[in-house]
Amino acid sequence: MKLIEALEILKRPAAEGQGLRIFLGCGFTPLHLQTFLAAQLTTAALGRRMEVRNGLFGDLAGSIERLDPSGIDTLAVIIEWSDIDPRLGMRTLGGWRPSQLDGILDSANLSVARLQHAVAGISHRVPTVVCLPTLPLPPMFSTPRIEEHAVEAQLRLTAASLGASLSQQFSLRIVNAQLLDETSPLATRYDLKSDLASGFPYTLQHACAVAEVLTSLIHPREAKRGLITDLDDTLWAGIVGDDGVDGISWHLERHTQMHGIYQQILGSLAGAGVLLGVASKNDSAVVERAFERSDLLLSKADIFPFETNWSLKSESVGRILKTWNVSADSVVFVDDSPMEVAEVQAAFPAMECIVFPKDDSSGTLELFKRLRDLFGKPVVTEEDSLRLASIRQSGAGRELGQSSPVTTEDFLKAADAHITFDFVRPTGDSRAFELVNKTNQFNLNGKRFSESQWRTLLSDPESFLLTASYKDKYGALGKIAVLGGRLRARMIHIDIWAMSCRAFSRRIEHQCLHYLFDTLAADEIVFAYEATSRNSVLQEFLTGLLESQPLPGASLRKDQFAARVPRLFHQVEGIARV
Amino acid sequence: MSEQEERLIRCFASVFPGATPEEIRKLNSESAGNWDSLSITTLTAVVEEEFKVEIEPKLISELNSFEAFQDYLRRAGR
Repeated sequence: MKLIEALEILKRPAAEGQGLRIFLGCGFTPLHLQTFLAAQLTTAALGRRMEVRNGLFGDLAGSIERLDPSGIDTLAVIIEWSDIDPRLGMRTLGGWRPSQLDGILDSANLSVARLQHAVAGISHRVPTVVCLPTLPLPPMFSTPRIEEHAVEAQLRLTAASLGASLSQQFSLRIVNAQLLDETSPLATRYDLKSDLASGFPYTLQHACAVAEVLTSLIHPREAKRGLITDLDDTLWAGIVGDDGVDGISWHLERHTQMHGIYQQILGSLAGAGVLLGVASKNDSAVVERAFERSDLLLSKADIFPFETNWSLKSESVGRILKTWNVSADSVVFVDDSPMEVAEVQAAFPAMECIVFPKDDSSGTLELFKRLRDLFGKPVVTEEDSLRLASIRQSGAGRELGQSSPVTTEDFLKAADAHITFDFVRPTGDSRAFELVNKTNQFNLNGKRFSESQWRTLLSDPESFLLTASYKDKYGALGKIAVLGGRLRARMIHIDIWAMSCRAFSRRIEHQCLHYLFDTLAADEIVFAYEATSRNSVLQEFLTGLLESQPLPGASLRKDQFAARVPRLFHQVEGIARV
Repeated sequence: MSEQEERLIRCFASVFPGATPEEIRKLNSESAGNWDSLSITTLTAVVEEEFKVEIEPKLISELNSFEAFQDYLRRAGR
C-alpha cells in the first residue's frame, strides 16, 4: 500500500458498524505508521471507522503507564532501540565512547524492566500487541560491523528477554520478527532524513510492513478447522497401490523428505486440534497396511475419517465435511493432482484447495508456511485436543444409532452424561470467547465480540456468564456451551448463547435452561434472539420450546419450559454461583 | 491537464481532503487553513513516493504552494 492510497482510504466515509479505538504506543512521531495502521485496519474491518491515538513523543513507558484502558479497544506498542535508551537512536548526542557502552547497557536493562512491567500490567486490562525493536542498531560500537560487539549482543539479548517475558501474558501478542524480516529487509527500514527532520524513523515501506503485521494481529482472520489430504504423492511419495507399502517413502535417502516434513506439519496441526481427514482414490485395505508402517510421522489416530474409495474426490470431501459438521470455508484440501483440486474447488468454492507442489521444493516450503498461516492461532486449548476424539465418538454413536433399534431415550440414558456448569468468570478463558465468536449453527444471534468488548462484558457486575462442560462414557467434549446475560426481578435476559455443534443431540441445551431456571430462581427467560443465515439449529430448538417461530425478545416461562422439556439424564454439577 | 499535474493534484487531495482540483491549483501556505508542519511532512512524503524524488529538508520551507511543488518537480525532471 502506498501512502497516498492509505490517505485516500481514510478520506472515505466510514461504513456502518462499530469500529476500533487503538492506542498506538511509540516513543517516536507515529506519522505515517499511524496513517498506514488506520488505513489497513479500516480495510480489514470492511470500512468501519478506526480511531488511532498516540502518546507522548520520547516517553513510551510513561504513555503506557498513564493510559486509561477503558477508552481503548486495543493497545499497539512499538518499541525501538531509542525507547530503551535514547543514545541508541540518532536524534540524541549522548556519546558513543567505548567507556560509555556499559552505562548504556545498564540503563537499557532498567528501561526494559520498566517497559515489561507497564506492558504486562496493562495487557491484563486491554488486548495488547507488541512490536520489539525492528531498526538496526546504530554504528556505535568499536568492532567492525561484521563482528558483533559484546554490548551489541547483550542489547539484543535484553530485547529478546523482554519478548520472551511478555509472550507469557494472556491476551498479549508479539509481532514475529522473522516474518517482518521477510517482508521488510533490514537494510531498507531506517530513514535517517525523516528521523532527523520529523522524528519518524521508518521508511514508508517499513511503516507499511509494520502496520500490516500489527493489523493482522489486531484483526486476525479466523483459523481454519480442518485439513483433508490426499495420500499418494502428497502424504507420501509414490503410489501405494502400484509401488506397494514398502515402495512409498518420505525420507532423505529416497529424496522424498518433503513428504516427511508435510507429515510432521500435519502431526503438529493434529496436536493443536485441527481435524485431519483423508480423501484418496485407493484401496482401503492397502491404505490400512500403509498406516501400519512404524516410520510414518502421523498415526491413524490423528485422522478421521478416511475416505479411501474410487468415487469422485468431491464426494469424499462432502462426506468428510458432514462427519465433521463444519462448513467448507473452514477447511483446506491438499492434493498433488491439479485436476482433483479443480474438481473439489468447483464443488466447494469456499474451500481453500491447494495443489501439493511435489516437484518444487521452494513451492513446498511456501505451502508449509501457508499452512501455518491458515491454521495458526494464539492459544491451543484443552478442547482443541479433544475435538477429533469427540467427533470420532459421535460418528460411532451415529453408526450405533443407525444399526441398532435402541431409542434416543435409551441411548441418552445409557450415555452416563455429566455436565459441569461454571458461573466463574476467568479472564483467561479463551474457550468461552472462542465459542461465541466461532459458533454459527447454535448461536442465539450471531453476535461477535472483540477482546475488549468481551472483557467489558465479563467485568459488568450485573451480568453473568455460564459455561458448560460435557463428558459421557464415550469421552469428554470439554467446554461446549456458553451463556451470558442478566438477572432482573426473577427474569433472566440471555444475550449470548452459543453451543458447539459437537454437543448437539444430547439435550445439553435443555439442561442449560433447566439449570438457569433452577439456580437463579427465575420465572421467565427472555432471549436476545436474532435469526441469522446460519443459526437454523437454534431456531428449531426455540421453535420446539415456544411452539411458534421465535422472534427477537422471545420469552419462555418456567411452567412452559417444564411442560415441554424432554427427559434429561445428565448428572449435573455446578462449580460456583453468581 | 498534464499527467504530472493530475498526479500532483491527487497527492494534494489526499492531504487536503475536500478541495477541488481548481482550489488545489491555487493552494498555498497562506490560503490553506490546515497547511501546517504535519500536513507538509505528509505531503512531502506522498510526493516523494509518487514521483520517486527525494526532497532535501532545507527545500521544504520553499515548497509553500501547489505551484512551488510543480516547479520543483519540473526542475527535478519529473
